[in-house]
Amino acid sequence: MADSGNAPKPSSSVKLVLLGEAAVGKSSLVLRFVNNDFQENKEPTIGAAFLTQKCNLPTRTIKFEIWDTAGQERFASLAPMYYRNAQAALVVYDLTKPTSLVKAKHWVAELQRQASPGIVIALVGNKLDLTNDEAGSGGDGESPGVDGEGDARKVTTDEAKTYADEEGLLFFETSAKTGYNVTEVFTAIANAIPETSLKTARGPGAAHAAARSEEQRVNLNGARDQNAKDGCAC
Amino acid sequence: MLNLSNFVQKAQQLLDPTQSLNITDSDRNPSKASLFQSQFRLPSSQHPLYEITAELTIPPPNATQGERDRDRGYQYAGKLHLSESYLCFSTTPSSFLQSASTSTSSIFTGQTHGGGPSGNGFTFPLSAVRRVERLHSQNFQFALAITTWNGISQDAAKDKDRKDLKEQRITIQLAGTRPACERFCDGLKKGLRSNVGNVSKLKKVVSECYSEYLLRTEDEKNANPPDAGLGMLFKYPGDPKKLRDRAKMRLWAEYLRDNGRNLTLIRQPTFHKLIRVGLPNRLRGEMWELSSGSIYLRLENPTLYADTLTKFSGQESLAIDEIEKDLNRSLPEYPGFQSEEGIGRLRRVLTAYSWVNADVGYCQAMNIVVAALLIYMSESQAFFLLSALCDRLVPGYYSTTMYGTLLDQKVFESLVEKTMPILWDHLVKSDVQLSVVSLPWFLSLYINSMPLVFAFRVLDVFFVEGPKVLFQVGLAILRINGEELLDATDDGAFISVLKSYFSRLDESAHPKSENPKLRAVTRFQELMVVAFKEFSGITHSSITESRLKNKDAVLNNIESFAKRTAIRNLGPDSKLLSADELGALYDRFYGVLYERQQRDHILQQEQARRAKSSRSRIPEAHHPSDDHGIEKGRVGLGPSTSLMDYDAFREFLAAMSKWAISDAPTTPRRDNFGDKQGGFYSSLRRADASLSPWGTGPEPADHEFLQRLFRKWDTGSTSALTLQNVVSGMARIKGKRDIMGTINYFFELHDDDGDGKVDREGILRMSEALLFLSRRGLEGTLSPPNPAMNVSGDGLNGGSDAPGQSVNERFLGSVSAFIRRCFEYADPDHPHNQNAIQDVQERLDAQRLEDSAAEELVNPDAFAIGDDDEDEDDDLLAMDSPTGSPRAAAKRSDHSAGEPPALQLNSSSTGLRTDDDAMVRRRVSKAQSERANAALDPSNPLHITLPTFRMVVLADELLEQFFESSFPASFHIIEGLASSATPTSASSLTTFSSLGMGAGRAVNAALGGGPGASAGGRGLRGVLDNIVTDGMRVAAEVRRRMEEAQKELEKNALPGQRNDEEEEEDEEEPGFERSSGAGKGSAYRGDAERRSVRSSDRDLLTGADAEASDTINRSTSNIEGSGGSGASDGNGSTTKNAEGAGKVMGVEFDG
Repeated sequence: MADSGNAPKPSSSVKLVLLGEAAVGKSSLVLRFVNNDFQENKEPTIGAAFLTQKCNLPTRTIKFEIWDTAGQERFASLAPMYYRNAQAALVVYDLTKPTSLVKAKHWVAELQRQASPGIVIALVGNKLDLTNDEAGSGGDGESPGVDGEGDARKVTTDEAKTYADEEGLLFFETSAKTGYNVTEVFTAIANAIPETSLKTARGPGAAHAAARSEEQRVNLNGARDQNAKDGCAC
Repeated sequence: MLNLSNFVQKAQQLLDPTQSLNITDSDRNPSKASLFQSQFRLPSSQHPLYEITAELTIPPPNATQGERDRDRGYQYAGKLHLSESYLCFSTTPSSFLQSASTSTSSIFTGQTHGGGPSGNGFTFPLSAVRRVERLHSQNFQFALAITTWNGISQDAAKDKDRKDLKEQRITIQLAGTRPACERFCDGLKKGLRSNVGNVSKLKKVVSECYSEYLLRTEDEKNANPPDAGLGMLFKYPGDPKKLRDRAKMRLWAEYLRDNGRNLTLIRQPTFHKLIRVGLPNRLRGEMWELSSGSIYLRLENPTLYADTLTKFSGQESLAIDEIEKDLNRSLPEYPGFQSEEGIGRLRRVLTAYSWVNADVGYCQAMNIVVAALLIYMSESQAFFLLSALCDRLVPGYYSTTMYGTLLDQKVFESLVEKTMPILWDHLVKSDVQLSVVSLPWFLSLYINSMPLVFAFRVLDVFFVEGPKVLFQVGLAILRINGEELLDATDDGAFISVLKSYFSRLDESAHPKSENPKLRAVTRFQELMVVAFKEFSGITHSSITESRLKNKDAVLNNIESFAKRTAIRNLGPDSKLLSADELGALYDRFYGVLYERQQRDHILQQEQARRAKSSRSRIPEAHHPSDDHGIEKGRVGLGPSTSLMDYDAFREFLAAMSKWAISDAPTTPRRDNFGDKQGGFYSSLRRADASLSPWGTGPEPADHEFLQRLFRKWDTGSTSALTLQNVVSGMARIKGKRDIMGTINYFFELHDDDGDGKVDREGILRMSEALLFLSRRGLEGTLSPPNPAMNVSGDGLNGGSDAPGQSVNERFLGSVSAFIRRCFEYADPDHPHNQNAIQDVQERLDAQRLEDSAAEELVNPDAFAIGDDDEDEDDDLLAMDSPTGSPRAAAKRSDHSAGEPPALQLNSSSTGLRTDDDAMVRRRVSKAQSERANAALDPSNPLHITLPTFRMVVLADELLEQFFESSFPASFHIIEGLASSATPTSASSLTTFSSLGMGAGRAVNAALGGGPGASAGGRGLRGVLDNIVTDGMRVAAEVRRRMEEAQKELEKNALPGQRNDEEEEEDEEEPGFERSSGAGKGSAYRGDAERRSVRSSDRDLLTGADAEASDTINRSTSNIEGSGGSGASDGNGSTTKNAEGAGKVMGVEFDG
């Protein structure tokens, strides 16, 4: 995911929001994607954390502006503030916890009704490392499952996949811990963002500022990537 | 008493005007008590009892400060206040006397605008007052010398230490009339006496204050110092040298020595200045708890923290799970929180708080705030300071909806718009949402945003001056970074500008300046100056005002989000209802709960007020729970009632369904059900008694049907409904729109034990329910009877009243038939009932017996009501005009499966009775009928099953339509009932009194104006009357025409033409009778009877009458079990039923 030089490829930024029940691994997914890192204890997100990461596609570069929201239930009422204008959303559930899929479905419904039309939504079942699936446990050679031989999976791939298909969502099962499938999620989202929505920069008055903001991004990159590590909103 | 006064506290507890967020009334007019509590940061148990203008004289310091005025000391003019346990003095900004030390002090006096311990003065717990002496003074009538327990912990030490400690003694001169002064002194005396017992608490609280240790002589200091936070173990953040911690400590030591420490501290201008420059590490915790007032909470109940931990030790909760997740992630950069010691403290404080304030529980960000507090104070101190934060300093920030946070974001945005319009325009143009950036500032009190050392400096001021500090600092941040922010065009750029600013707060604000002094100014200092100078206009009151302005919008936003979420989270049942219906149900559900709560609140306040005036106030132990959740109910404010009890359920239905509105203004008793259920509703009854008002809405009915519905919906048997229950329940009725479903549901409602059988009583209850539901008319699509049968153009759906009545009237007939059929088919042993399709002849033979049975079941209540004949006769007037009955009868006869009209005639005749001498005969005939019909025999249990029930329902077109359409349609979920459509009087009831009175509107109008109760009662009785009169008129004809009618039936003839004519005749007669009755009002009873009953009829009717009275006797016993309460409702409906039948018959044959 590193910058591949200053290729003249068109570059555009995409606002992406992460939603999901508490402790499903939203922040960990982001951390894995942005820093290729995994921490057992991450600072809690107050409101939301803001991070950025670039994603190089063959034809263009997508810069994700990632809003990682707090998972605690009562923060849900703040969510509209963060998914406003988002072009993509990652709705995360914990595939060892069926209730988290229910919550994820609620978020999907909320997004479909309240977020910007045409938002690309990916449903992500995280914590694949806790299952016996080869793919998940194989990733970085980490030992599978906290329960040793036990398979902690409680949500079948089929169930989630069926739901995702019905709702027209991208679907992945990932492990932030091993890194399995994480990059793929973001790449798939980048590919799914329609070209048109990339060109129309979001927000009123943003058109004239587009060029300028692009420059700025370059300048800010260094500082921001450093900042990304502490994952704090400000 | 205790509860009541607690409520007063709650109501008045707006310690801080901002807390009034919670109470609509006090929003605009905070009570005096709340202002008082807010000014001195006192617990909600304190009320201003006395106040008096006074002058405070502080003796000259014994130490270094101030040479001048040595002889007189410092003097301040201000007001002296006395509450239950506190003696407070405060200057007003203008009253600052010349003799005070510095000129700058005036800056500080007004900073909190009464919203905090501003100005100069003191807040002494009465238990800290050691002695009060009255001095002789020439200038004032009263002068008091107050000696405090300042340094009480040292007091206990040996005498030799005493000489090091100068007694704290201040003088107060009261300026007031003699009686006023005396009153105040009396109050003070009383207060002092009652607080003597609290000295031990005082000692305990004080002993945990670091100042006690600080002021000890060196040789005493080997003792363990009080806990001044994790910083003592893990070092305090920041470089103490750079912070000039020692110098600050020396200044504070001096100040405290001169002006008293902790609970006996006197605020002078220096106090505020010392706070502005930053508190020294070891005193920081103590000064925080002092200036926030949380020390007074601790004083009230010093062991609450430890007690709470003990009490809930080992218990689990959702909050605890959430807390556990965050323990390792709270200020992880501070070494103390990488240790078990620090984590343990954090866990205990958060957990204890989540227990005492379960409504808030735990909210992310609290972990960060508490972690910060724990660096400087003990667990117990942090616990109480967290209370003070959540309850008064930042109310609603951590609630389950976080409305306080969102509200303050709105307020902040509006302030930015006002003070920095250019930046604001830029934000709007760039579509950057400010709160994305600023929300974490407020939520974590800048702790998570700035480097800790600076965040603590902000907190130092925040605890003294209140929440406006958060706004001032936020605005200053934007102002200082304005240039750069104007270049930022999206959230990301915006955030990074501020992030980098925060990381450079310790750098020089003017690095290139020539002036070394200017160069020495750090960015943080600059920030403070901008915040408190440039934005000094941001005051407590301006914040409060802005909060008021935005409150509704914010709550509405939260609520619409909550509504969306709640509706989405409803189970699969909810899919049966439309989105609009769900939305409306949600609104109604919470609307009712909210309104009821408000009413309760007002009522209780009223009671409290009364209680208060009738007794003197007594200081009470502090209840931590008093401090939160003043007004719940409104969803946006956080945890609200989400359970609907039975009374709320009635109110809920009454707003949607005509039939759920009470007929009478008085609430009927509800005994039977409660008795049957072993007091299931006993608590509800109590509630009824205490608070009668139903708000502005109509009084809801209380009928057994409602109770059944409630129980049915209450799937968890918790005596309360959740929104989910209501939606699922409603979905079963309104969701499928399928007649079988509705029929099944209705059956289930009455199948108490769920065995698929409904017994005799159940059948009666069903019919009562049907009548109850229909008594205000049927709704939905009711197809007119077969056109061929329809007598004339005035179809059922016609606009005129007559057709409408006829539908309702017909329905009574249908219900009557329903009962009869139920009993027919219920008894499998009865030979006549074996086949669904019966030979007419055979049925005619049996009919008399069966009719009497049915009659018995139907009428009993009616008789119970109108026990004496006079009563029964009251409403005769209403009876004899059954306009629509011919059609109904015709229609019924049209049904091939229907019973012959003759049958109906019989049943109607059974209801007739007029004379007392009929009693004997009644008894005889009762015995006969019992013998004749097993169905009547109580010792011979019978039941109907669902298929039978279905068959019976489907056998009647009107019943069928009722289940198909009108029952579901009677729930007006979305549109509700127009207020005009919710009359409380009985005028709109389809009872005998309104039913069938073609011209009866006159009567109705007359009745409607009068007391609704009597109208309702009359309505029931009218059913009886109807039976009687109709029966009388008709009975004579009955036998004569029996055969004729039978033939007609068999021929399946179309009696339309003829019926029509008959009807017209009928109409004339009743019309005239009614109008006369109306004219006479209540006097019409006797007249009506005379008029409608013809003597010749009486003779004929005696037999039937006798039977009816039998029925009464029997039925009373039957019904007792079901709903005695209902005496009015239940009986009424039964009666109606009978009446309908009677009327129908009467009309047909009358002609």
